Amino acid sequence: MDSYDAPELTLRQSAFSRPEGICATPLQKRLESVRKQTSSVPTPPRRRIPQCPQVQEDVDPQKVAFLLHKQWTLYSLTPLYKFSYTNLKEYSRLLSAFIVAEKQKGLAVEVGEDLNIKVIFSILLGVKGTQRDPEAFLIQSHSSSPRLEYSGMSLDLLGSGDPSASAFQVAGTTDACHHAWLILSKSQFPSENREGKVLWTGWFCCVFGDNLLETVLEDFTCLPLFLANGSESNTAIIRTWFQKTFDCYFSPLAINAFNLSWMAAMWTACKMDHYVAATEFLWSVPCNPQSLNISYAIHPEDAKALWDSVHKTPGEVTQEEVDLFMDCLGSHFHRHFKIHLSATRLVCVSTSVASAHTDGKIKILCHKYLIGVLAYLTELAIFQIE
Amino acid sequence: MDETVAEFIKRTILKIPISEMMTVLKAWNFLPENQLQTINFRQRKESVIQHLLLLCEEKCASINDAALLDIVCTQVHRHKKIWDVFRMSKEPGDDVDLFDMNQFKSSFKKVLQRALKNVTVSFRETEENEVWIRVAWGTHYTKPQQYKPTYVVYYPQTPYVFTSSRLTRNITLLGQALTIASKHHEIVKMDLRSRYLDSLKAIAFQQYNQVFEIHNSTLPLQERRLALDSRIIHENRVEKERVQRITQESFGDYPQPQLEFAQYKLETKFKSDVNGGILAERKEPLRCLIKFSSPHLLDALKSLAPAGIADAPLSPLLTCIPKKKMNYFKIRDK
Repeated sequence: MDSYDAPELTLRQSAFSRPEGICATPLQKRLESVRKQTSSVPTPPRRRIPQCPQVQEDVDPQKVAFLLHKQWTLYSLTPLYKFSYTNLKEYSRLLSAFIVAEKQKGLAVEVGEDLNIKVIFSILLGVKGTQRDPEAFLIQSHSSSPRLEYSGMSLDLLGSGDPSASAFQVAGTTDACHHAWLILSKSQFPSENREGKVLWTGWFCCVFGDNLLETVLEDFTCLPLFLANGSESNTAIIRTWFQKTFDCYFSPLAINAFNLSWMAAMWTACKMDHYVAATEFLWSVPCNPQSLNISYAIHPEDAKALWDSVHKTPGEVTQEEVDLFMDCLGSHFHRHFKIHLSATRLVCVSTSVASAHTDGKIKILCHKYLIGVLAYLTELAIFQIE
Repeated sequence: MDETVAEFIKRTILKIPISEMMTVLKAWNFLPENQLQTINFRQRKESVIQHLLLLCEEKCASINDAALLDIVCTQVHRHKKIWDVFRMSKEPGDDVDLFDMNQFKSSFKKVLQRALKNVTVSFRETEENEVWIRVAWGTHYTKPQQYKPTYVVYYPQTPYVFTSSRLTRNITLLGQALTIASKHHEIVKMDLRSRYLDSLKAIAFQQYNQVFEIHNSTLPLQERRLALDSRIIHENRVEKERVQRITQESFGDYPQPQLEFAQYKLETKFKSDVNGGILAERKEPLRCLIKFSSPHLLDALKSLAPAGIADAPLSPLLTCIPKKKMNYFKIRDK
């Protein structure tokens, strides 16, 4: 494991020596090198090792299963101050109370309904890159049973007599993430044993985040990647609580076209036993006044064949290969339609491994490459924080 | 009035917004004018529906009347369905018969009833020389399913038929009924599909380019040149005008028919001049599925070359959509 880690560390450090996301012109590269007082030789193209499924011993495929096939919204998170893995129960309690208080701030209608939101924190084992990465944790927000007969007040207020019809309860059903802190709250009803629907799930993780871990001080826990599934209002409330309690800062993680094309190349490079989906790209064309979307789907085996023909360096993916891959796709398209895809905006990339949208939404489809996908996303999150 | 009929009328009326209700009911022509005037459309929708149901009860509305109401609603909201286009053809030696509407209707009904016994078939003719047919499908043993009907729009004297594409099982039977009733020989599905029935009509009958021919020729060339941005300098101006001219030639000056998507299934080999050697040994083609989607596809495609995103002339695969009457293509290497 160590020999695997070391070359990767150095490569990543050199990768972060220049800003990511800029397809640097020669002039820009020279300016950078002048600023850093290095030689005027242009820096080598970024190299990245594609994900390998070897760091998966701790991860139980079954436990990971509920992380897959869900759409997660991404945020980057600055390090948490004085976060402790032993105080999970305490955090559960505090966060439940906070959510309930927030919900009650608004309309009177909500009184009596949301008193039984349970929030549960739990640790997700195995979702990490190296041993240095902190444990990921999962937060899940459950609703209690919809039968709120104990509170006659709520029935009157709702008027329709159906206390289960609440917008809060129809929010997404997500399961606890292994690797995130899972927040579940316990119902106060003595008779209730069932947990109720999962309303919201979020998890925090850090995969191969060594660059950030080195710079961080003692009291800080570094979990730069936050993924949320559920209603936006819940996400906002939970973010506020974390920001107040741990002095951290969330910001939405958007994925630009450059990174989307890297993801497409890396995921196409992954070896799969069977493909569940075609490799699909979605471009948005900025034409006026009508919008135009181009969806370009290739059979996954053909995409792999194209990648294999482009890919020259074993074990590594270089910038040139990614550019060449996207170029080939573009020229094949141009041959038929005479449209330059380079003039359009890449919005969404979807393969059998995962699918990503430029608004910061991700869906992971294959448990084998879960860690690899998370590693890339962690890198993007860390870059955004810095 | 039957319970099922009442329920069906109720659900149909429920889908109509209050603002359109008067026009729809008038077009339906089942309830007399004076009775319609008595309805207060400002009250809550449930009360309006109750009132209407009472009136229909008094007039003993049948399932056929309800079906006619359904047709009227669909005619008003025709863009809510996706329409397929079929073309019928005659044998080369066949005579051109005079079209008899009554004979067509009875023949169509007969074919369907003979095959399935339980079908509800309703017809409605409009002023634009089209006949709308609604078919609710049942089987020998079950009553017709009124909530999943198929709509067919047929233009007599033309070989074109438009159907709402919910068909799965009964499509061959419908095709048979249409060909027999209209005295054609066979029916073929075209690769053309859209929500906008009027645009499909314009494409099928090649009528989209007959608009305002005179108007365009009066616009002198100089005025068109001025339409370009004044900041464009001479060298680029020549190129821009060339692009504009070519775009005009391929797309024409007339408003384009409205389509929402075009789909291309490509199975062509990868060939690239610049990136030589990539996939050179591979004999199999790349299997791609490309879909263009837009609220108004042809307008968007027309604006690509002037915007610099595409070369002019645009690829014939895109410009041939209205001419070839297709928006689903399968492209293979020659």
